[in-house]
Amino acid sequence: MPYHIVFDPNQCVACHACTIACIDQNDIDVEAGDQAFRTAYNIEIKEGEDNILCEYFSSACMHCTGAPCLKACPVGCIKKDPETGMTIFDNTNCIGCRSCSVACPFGAPKFRKSDGKMVKCDGCYVRVQYGYSPACVAACAFGALTLKNEEEFEADTAAKGIKSILDNVSQYNNVSPVPIRPGK
Amino acid sequence: METSTEKLLKAKIPCEATGIEVKKAFCTMCTPGEHCGLNVYVKDDKIIKVEGMPEHPYNRGKLCTKGAMTKGYVYSDKRLKTPMRRVGKRGEGKFEPITWDEAYAEIVKQLKGAREKYGPNSVIFATGYTKWYKEYLQRFANAFGSVNYGTDEGCCYKAGGLANMCTVAGGCFPDLRNAKVFLGWASNGAYSTYLNYVNLQAMKARGGKIIIVDTRITPAAQKLADVFLQINPGTDCALALGMAKIIIDNHWEDKEFIENCTFGFDAFRKRVQEYDLERVSKITGLDPNDILQATELYATQGPAACNIPASTLAQEYNGFQTIRAFLCLQGVCGYIDTPGGNLVGAGVTYLGRFAGWNSKERDYLMEQASKLDYTKMIAYDDFPLWSKMCQMYQGMKLPEAIEQQKQPLKVIFGMGVNLMMYPNTERFIKALDNIDFFVNTDVFMTYTNKYADMILPACTAFERGEFKVHPPFFMTYTQPCIQPLYESKSDTDILNDLAILMDIDDDLLKQGYEAMIDYMMDGCGLTVADMKKTPGVPIKVPNARMVPPGMMREKGFFMMPSKKFEFYAQKIAFLKDPRLDPLPSYVDPFGYKHADDYLEKYPFILCSGTRIPNTIHTRLHGVSWSRYIRKEPMIEIHVEDAERLGISDGEIVEIYTDIGAVQGKALVTCKVHRGVVEMAHGYPEANSSKLFNDSHLDPYSGYPNYKASRCNIRKLQQESGKAW
Repeated sequence: MPYHIVFDPNQCVACHACTIACIDQNDIDVEAGDQAFRTAYNIEIKEGEDNILCEYFSSACMHCTGAPCLKACPVGCIKKDPETGMTIFDNTNCIGCRSCSVACPFGAPKFRKSDGKMVKCDGCYVRVQYGYSPACVAACAFGALTLKNEEEFEADTAAKGIKSILDNVSQYNNVSPVPIRPGK
Repeated sequence: METSTEKLLKAKIPCEATGIEVKKAFCTMCTPGEHCGLNVYVKDDKIIKVEGMPEHPYNRGKLCTKGAMTKGYVYSDKRLKTPMRRVGKRGEGKFEPITWDEAYAEIVKQLKGAREKYGPNSVIFATGYTKWYKEYLQRFANAFGSVNYGTDEGCCYKAGGLANMCTVAGGCFPDLRNAKVFLGWASNGAYSTYLNYVNLQAMKARGGKIIIVDTRITPAAQKLADVFLQINPGTDCALALGMAKIIIDNHWEDKEFIENCTFGFDAFRKRVQEYDLERVSKITGLDPNDILQATELYATQGPAACNIPASTLAQEYNGFQTIRAFLCLQGVCGYIDTPGGNLVGAGVTYLGRFAGWNSKERDYLMEQASKLDYTKMIAYDDFPLWSKMCQMYQGMKLPEAIEQQKQPLKVIFGMGVNLMMYPNTERFIKALDNIDFFVNTDVFMTYTNKYADMILPACTAFERGEFKVHPPFFMTYTQPCIQPLYESKSDTDILNDLAILMDIDDDLLKQGYEAMIDYMMDGCGLTVADMKKTPGVPIKVPNARMVPPGMMREKGFFMMPSKKFEFYAQKIAFLKDPRLDPLPSYVDPFGYKHADDYLEKYPFILCSGTRIPNTIHTRLHGVSWSRYIRKEPMIEIHVEDAERLGISDGEIVEIYTDIGAVQGKALVTCKVHRGVVEMAHGYPEANSSKLFNDSHLDPYSGYPNYKASRCNIRKLQQESGKAW
């Protein structure tokens, strides 16, 4: 049964526990300059003259239904895990062309400095297969990140809206994401 | 293609094929009042991952940012590997490795030498955070013959404890499960003690109302608060007393509780008359209508619970009385010792926590301490309330005492000592010239260790065993998840080794840590040997007894002289000290500095109360995972102030006071007040404490004022920024 990692911005506080859990689970070498697959943002955006929006976000691969990265990869590194629906990869043949990263509206695929190959969030799909939550979900104390199966996901009206966007995400390929100031 | 075992290994699935084992432990990253249950994934004697322990009654599988950094912390390249002796100048950071035998020989020589030449009190036994061994160290100090034992509680937690002890009892905890209203004093929770935030989320979900008082806009203020009061730094006491007046004026007080269970209400009522709405509004910078709205919600929609801040507001100019004012406000409404209000602690089992029975912790400490003259303690006369009620010196006077040498102070035996907790830090560093020998244990090469003569490598909690209690009635004994790294040792093993080598006249100390725990936990129904059969697993205390809310209302507040809740604190009155007031009052932190030229020179208010999710105090700053989240120290300034001064986000700025300067990256934000500059403390390259003067210490608690001082800020040229 497909699973979805659902993000609820109302509960997020940008504590970055998800990012740290991602580093922990995936042995990301931050000292070598490698990046975590999930990032949290603490953003202030000026809206009009007097209003400043203060928002908190966490983002990683959205595991889209019609994943544009999958179609963009010329050597077929990226595929869907039939069991969990996560967008997974095997970068043995990766040529480092970055097509996947360009195609992704969320900039999810990263390039690892040490070997010049693409890496990305695989939704901790093996963990999910074995009944565990993805590391970021397990680390989210405030309920901003949850793992939902198809049934739970369908029942969640807020999540449905996101799903409809993701189902049609390939249409949004030419839309650049909102500029934000990370790292605050 | 990966084989299936490789896949499992990469995913870190614990099973026979991978050889990954999940060991049970608890996190020791933040305050000992938390310490969440932890699942530690271990393979080949190496920690490969951690997660919250789902079955733990305290955190139920949850974990925060800092706890999630465990692997990065344990395997940090900044760890001390061997004992080391200083070879360069103090502060230079040059050390040479020595053996444990060499280290011990030198320590024994120095400690015994000082005791012979200058007397036992010339040796200072000091510890920093989180001091899991503190009972052992205190007894060690006392058995050695010294009364000069002190901890980080000289600027954290204890002031709140003292305020509790002078008003109601040892502890006074919010009952969030039953509260209808929560009044959060500088309470955020999103970036520290995160389970408070989780509990408030749950409270909100079931319809509870939340009032947040804070100087800055936080996630709690944005997402949880029904009423948010963005107060001027350092003025919370005035707000609490003003709210009390509104409540009394409107006859919203709990007359029955006041009549039957309290002492000194008339004097308190008279005192709060000084805090009329107009004055309070002016002091706090709050809209009178917002104050009225918050007060009405608090007083009429209760029961309401409030938090007792450990260091945030205790480190205000008049922090002790600020917390007394919060407690008195609870008392006016009768939100004390009642479901949904603040529950009163029935005692302490171990390390400040109650788990259903009164242990022999105090007996353990007093056996040696009762032989000594505690009036010889450092700063005994400076803080009479502290000295009478705490079995430790008030460390904030330590630099002065070392400078003056009125009583000879020659050796510091430190465990995790942190100089950055002292205001005017540079003064302490200079004072160290008067010290013959300073030895410190720590896990890392810290800011402080550079000034030590000898450093000893302590292991982390995952490399040793530790006992812990969790409310309401659980206890845990961990076993090492991995062998100690390098030559590091458990802190208590170091003390145990020294007790034997020095032939300290105390058999119990010579028997080690487990003997100490068995001594104290006698009567709980289990021994260390029993608990070790299920390492790291929380066990229900067999002989635990619960104290029902309302017991003290009925039978009397047994820790108070009047056996009642005391608005008028008799424990303060008995001291007959003109510096101390038995009633809470607000003191203007800038009252002595309102001269025009001073304000011109230092127009900004400086506050180091900011909490960030990736560090706690001086911890984790050296861990690369933490720096990945936030690379540099950030100095927060309001958008309008930044515009006026031509400061852009990310530029290097300097904050300076009359005693020091610190540099960091400007974080231009709308979340702080106009006219206020905030920064998180504990950065070794940007130690905010050195900006704060040590000339004012709270006369009750001795705490420094880290929350509202004066400073100025300037943009630095890019060139000079490079040095930093």
